[in-house]
Amino acid sequence: MHATAQQPKVLILASEACAYPGANAVGQAHQAYSDHAYILRAPSPALFPPQFYLDCLDQGFAGIIIMSCGVECPYEGAYQVLAQRVDQAYQLMKTRGLDLRRLRLTAICTVCNRAFLNEVNQMTRLADEIGPARDAETAQAA
Amino acid sequence: MSQDRPNNHPEPKVGVYVCHCGGNISDQVDVEQVARQAAGLPGVTAARHYSFMCSDPGQQMILEDLTSGRVDRVVVASCAPALHETTFREVLRRAGLNPYLYEHANIREQVSWVHHGPGATAKATALVAAATAKARELAPLMPIRVAATRHATVIGGGVAGLTAALDLAARGVEVALVETTPFLGGNLALLDRTFPTNEAAADLLTGLARRVLAQERISLYTCARLTGFSGYVGDFHLSLSQAPPRDDETLERLARFGEPGPECQPFRGVLPVAPPNAERRIELNTGAVVLATGFRHYQPPEGEYGYRQSSRVLTLPEFIALMAAIPAGQPLAFEGSPVASLALVHCVGSRQIPGIHEPPPGRELNQHCSRVCCTASLQAAGEARERFPETTIYELYRDIRSYGRGHEDYYLKASRSGVVFARFNPEDPPRVEADDSGDNPLKVTVKDTILAGEELELGVDLVVLAVGMEPGPVAELTQLMKLPQGADGFLQEVHPKLRPVELASGGLFLAGTCQAPMDVGEAASAAAAAAVKAAGLVTRGQVELEPFVATVDLARCDGCGDCVAACLREGALTLIETAAGQKARVEPALCLGCGVCVAACPAEAIQVAGWSLPQFRAMVQAIAQSGAEQGGQA
Amino acid sequence: MNHAPENHYDALVVGGGIAGLQAALDLAEQGFRVAVVEEDASVGGKMIRLSKVFPTLDCASCITTPKMAAAAHHPRISLLTYSRLAGLERAGGGFAARIERKARFVDEDQCIGCRQCEYACPVLLPDADQGGFAARKAIYIPFGNAIPQVALREEENCTFCGKCEKVCPTGAVDLLQQPQEISLTAEAVVLATGFRLMTDYPNRAYGPAARQPNLITSLQMERLLAPHGPYMRVLRPSDGKEPDSVAFIQCAGSRDLNLGVPYCSRVCCMYAIKQAMLLSGALPLADLTVYYLDIRAFGKNYEQFFQNAKAMGVEFVKAKPVVVGSTAEGAVRLRYEDQEGGGGGQEREHDLVVMSLAVLPAAELDPTGLGVGLGADGFLGSVSPKLAPPLTDQEGVFAAGTALGPKDIVDTIVEAGAAASQAAAYLAARRAAGRAAA
Repeated sequence: MHATAQQPKVLILASEACAYPGANAVGQAHQAYSDHAYILRAPSPALFPPQFYLDCLDQGFAGIIIMSCGVECPYEGAYQVLAQRVDQAYQLMKTRGLDLRRLRLTAICTVCNRAFLNEVNQMTRLADEIGPARDAETAQAA
Repeated sequence: MSQDRPNNHPEPKVGVYVCHCGGNISDQVDVEQVARQAAGLPGVTAARHYSFMCSDPGQQMILEDLTSGRVDRVVVASCAPALHETTFREVLRRAGLNPYLYEHANIREQVSWVHHGPGATAKATALVAAATAKARELAPLMPIRVAATRHATVIGGGVAGLTAALDLAARGVEVALVETTPFLGGNLALLDRTFPTNEAAADLLTGLARRVLAQERISLYTCARLTGFSGYVGDFHLSLSQAPPRDDETLERLARFGEPGPECQPFRGVLPVAPPNAERRIELNTGAVVLATGFRHYQPPEGEYGYRQSSRVLTLPEFIALMAAIPAGQPLAFEGSPVASLALVHCVGSRQIPGIHEPPPGRELNQHCSRVCCTASLQAAGEARERFPETTIYELYRDIRSYGRGHEDYYLKASRSGVVFARFNPEDPPRVEADDSGDNPLKVTVKDTILAGEELELGVDLVVLAVGMEPGPVAELTQLMKLPQGADGFLQEVHPKLRPVELASGGLFLAGTCQAPMDVGEAASAAAAAAVKAAGLVTRGQVELEPFVATVDLARCDGCGDCVAACLREGALTLIETAAGQKARVEPALCLGCGVCVAACPAEAIQVAGWSLPQFRAMVQAIAQSGAEQGGQA
Repeated sequence: MNHAPENHYDALVVGGGIAGLQAALDLAEQGFRVAVVEEDASVGGKMIRLSKVFPTLDCASCITTPKMAAAAHHPRISLLTYSRLAGLERAGGGFAARIERKARFVDEDQCIGCRQCEYACPVLLPDADQGGFAARKAIYIPFGNAIPQVALREEENCTFCGKCEKVCPTGAVDLLQQPQEISLTAEAVVLATGFRLMTDYPNRAYGPAARQPNLITSLQMERLLAPHGPYMRVLRPSDGKEPDSVAFIQCAGSRDLNLGVPYCSRVCCMYAIKQAMLLSGALPLADLTVYYLDIRAFGKNYEQFFQNAKAMGVEFVKAKPVVVGSTAEGAVRLRYEDQEGGGGGQEREHDLVVMSLAVLPAAELDPTGLGVGLGADGFLGSVSPKLAPPLTDQEGVFAAGTALGPKDIVDTIVEAGAAASQAAAYLAARRAAGRAAA
C-alpha cells in the first residue's frame, strides 16, 4: 500500500523567529543531518491542536520535533500554552498506545547548531529504529 | 479559466521555479528532475529551473508567466526565505497580483548544503510538493491599516515626561501631558545639583518648563489622573479626571508659590499653571501613550539604621536639602548643633538579599541596585567636605558603583578630600545606636571588610541613608492599562535590547525611571527614545500591520468562546451578537498572530491568515506522500 | 524632497554597529532617508561577535541579526559597508561627504554568498573574527550571519592563484577592482563610531610576562563561548586542554590614573560575570574566579544576575592581580593582594586568564574632520549631558553609543533612539524653516 522500503520521515515544526533561522544556520555551516527530516515553519507551534500531531503520525511520519523559541518566544505566554498542548497530545498518544518518544518539544535558538543537530539525529535514529507510527500500530493490530 | 468552476473560485494556477543558485543547489540536487516532478503536481501550470532565480532574467521569467496569465501564484525553490522571500513577493506585486500568493521552498540551506546524493533531490522534490500544495490553498491578503491619530499622551511631568512631550511636539505631534500633582519636575526638583555637570536641577527644570509652556502643541493637564483607558495602537481613548488639590502637603507646597510660571523653585518644582478649582472630566483620542511615571525614594521602616528612632538619621535627599539650606561659609549644623562627623550608609532599600534582609510588612524586597545612589552619595560627601572641612565623613558601602561618565571623578574627589571609606558585607550591616556616653549622639558600629573584618566604632552626629529607588505609585494605572511589571515592580519592557522602550501592547511606551533606576541624562535619553518610537507611529497617519492575523469563518463559528479564553492578548478576540447568533470577532490591530486560538477552536472556525491548518495539512500530506510513488516504481 | 537625487540623504550615520543601526532604523521609521557608512565588511559591530548577552543570556546573534536585516531591507536605508568616511564638509546648510568604498575585489551585486571562492582559496590566515583562534581564507565571507553576505579578498596575503575567480559561479570575483570614491550629501550626521579595547594593556602592565597564550582578552573569551566559536567549545589556546580554572582580571586598564584611564569602563563587571556563568555551564567542574575592585552591577536586573553568579559558586576576590609568569603546564601565574584577606601578597595559578580590558575611544572616533568637541575622557563630548546626551557642539552632528563613552548594549540602544529623536527634530525644524523661506 505504502512504501515500507522508504526510510521513515521526521517532521520538524520550527518557530519562525528562532528555530527556523537556526536550521538555516546549520545549513550555512554545511553540517549534515538526515535527509528524511523535513522542516516546516510556523509563527508559533502553539497554533497546532493536539490532534494535529496525531494526524501527522497517521500520515506516515515516524516522529515529530516541535522546535519552539522556548521562553524567548516573541508571543508572551504562547510557550506555556504550547507546553500544555503537547501534554494533551501525549495523553492522546497514550490512549492510542503510541510511543511517546515520537513527539518531542524543544527550544532551539538562531545559532543553536549543536542542539539542533542533537535533536534531529536523536529523532531520526529513533525513527529508523521504530519506523512510522501507523506501521507500528498495524503490526500491533495484526 | 476552466468553464466548470464558479468565477470566484478559479482553479489555482501554480508556477514553480527551481533555482540552481549557480551550482550551490544544482551540484547536489537534480534541479531538472525537481522541476519535472513539480510539473506533474496538481494545479501546476508552469515548472521551470534557472541558474539564478533572484537575478533580473530569473525574475523576468516569473513576471512573464504571471502577466501572460499562465500562472496566478508562485513557488520559488531556492535559498532561505529570509534572503529572497520579499524579492519574489515583489515580482507578484509588479505583475499586479497580490504579493501573498507566494510560497517559498528552502532547498539550499535546508537541502543542498546539508544533504548529498539522491536523498537531496528527493527532499527538494518533497519540499517543492509541499510548497505547491500550500500555494494552491493561498488566498490574497491585505495588510491591516489602522488609522493613527496624530496625537500622543505623556503620563508624568518629571524630566522624562517633559523631554518626551517636547520631542514629540518637535515632530509635529499634538501632545497631552498629564501630571497627577499641580507641579512639574518630579524627583529632579528634589535635587540640588546634578552630577556630573553640577548644573542646578532647578535651572534644568526651568529651561524645560519654559519650552513646554511655549510649545503650542503641548496641552498640559495637571492635577489629573487617568480614569478610563480603551482602544488600541493608533486609536486609544483616554478619560482624565482633574480635581482641585486637597491634601495638606500639596496645599502647603502650593502656598509657597506666587504666580504660576515656568520658574522652578528649588526643592519644590514648577507650578506651570494654576491648579483647577473645579472637578473636570476630559476625554482624549490619542495614537500613542508614553508612560513617564517615575520613581519614589525608598522609605526606610522605623528602626532601619535608626530611622525615625533618632531625628538625626536622615535620608540622602533630606541631607541634600539640609546642606542647600546652609548659607555659604557657615558650618554644617543640624537642629542648632554643629555636625562634627557623619556617616553615609549605602544601599538602603537596594540590593536586598532574601534571607538576609526582611521586607517591610506588605512589601517586597528591593533586590535591584538603584544605580544612582553611589554617585549621589559621593557627590554629597565631596561637597560636604569641601564646604564643611571640619566635618568628618564616613562612607559605609558595599561596592562603589560610580559607573557613568564623570562619576569616577566624584569618587576620586571624595577620597582625596579625606572621606573615610569602610566596606561592609550585607550579612554584617552597620548598626546605628543612640549613644549617651560619648561626645556624639549616635554610634555606628561597622565591620570593615577591607581591614580584615575589624570592627569600627564611629561616633557621629548624623547618619545619612542613601535610599534607593522604587517604582512610583502606579497600581491604579497598571490595573487600568494592564501594564506588565517585573519582579522588581518597575514597568516591564518587551525586551531590554530588541524593544527597550516599548510595552508588549502596541502603542504604549516607557520613558525614564518608571522602567528602572536611571540618572537624569539616562532618563532623558530613554524619554527621547520613547518619543521617536511614538512619533514614528503616529506621524504616518496610519499604522500598517502584517496581515498574518486570526480570521473567523462565521459559518463555522458557534460562538462557544474557547478562542477568547485562549487568546493571549486582551481585547484581540471578543464575542459579538450577530443575526446568526453569538460569534467570535477578531480585532486585527490587537491580534498577535500567534495562533493559540486556532488550536483552541473545536469547530476549526478560526485560522491565522497565511498559516492556516488546512495549508499545514496540505504540506504535511505532500511530504508524507512524496517519494512513495517513486519508491513503488524503483 | 521627493525628487531628491540618489546620493542625497537626510541623515548620514557613521558606524554600522548596534548604535548606528538603531539610530538609522529609528530615523528611517520617521520617513527620513539614511545612509550608513561602515568600515567593516559587515554591519553588526562588536555586538554580532559576542556570545550571549547579559542579563537575559539571549544569544547576541538572535538580537543583532533582526536589526541588521531590518536595516538591510529598509527601503529608506542604504548600507555602505567596507567603506569609510574620507571627508566631510558643510555645504548649503547641510553636509557633503566623500565616502571611500574599499576594494572587496568582489562585485557586491553579483556575489550570491555561496562561499565557493572561500572553499577554493588555498591561503590560510588567522581569523580576527574568531579571536585569532581559527583560520580563514584570503577571500572570505566575514562570518556566518554577516550582512551583506558578500565575499571580500584581502590583498596582502592573496597569492593571485586565480582559483576563486575560476570557481565563482557568477563571475563576481574581480581581482583588479579599484577602490571607489562616492559623494553624497546629508542634512544631519550621527556619529556611532564605537570603541576599541586597550589591547596594549598586558604589555604595559605585565611586561614580558604578558606574552603567553593562555592570557586572553574578554573579546577572545566571547569567541570561545560563542556557538559558532573557533573550537565549538571552551578550550585553552596553548594546548587545547579544557581549563580547570579560569580567572578574570577586572579593571585591566580602567580606573587607572597611571594608564590615563581614570574612568570606569562600565561593561566589564557584567560581561565577566556573564562569561563566568556561561563557563560554569560549559565547564561544570572548573573553578571560576573574578578579581575585582567593585562589582558594578547597576542596570536593570544586573544585581540579581550578580547574586545568581555568586550562588552558582563563582568566586569573587577583591584584588587587582598582576600577571607574573606562567607554569610549565601553561597556567598563568598571578600575584595579588586580597584586600579583604588581611593584606600580604599571594600567588595563584589559573589555566586560563581573561583580562577585562579598558574601553577606549575608537581610533576614528570623529572622522568628520569638523573637530567635534571631546570630553575629558577622550570620547565625543556632549553639550547637554543631562537633558540630551547625543547633542555635540557641532550643529547637525549627533552622537550615540560608545562613541560618547563606555556603555552597555541596553543603554547604547536607548541612546541611539535618543540620537534619532534629536536628529529627527533637527531635520523637521530645517524642513519647516525651508518651507517658510519658500
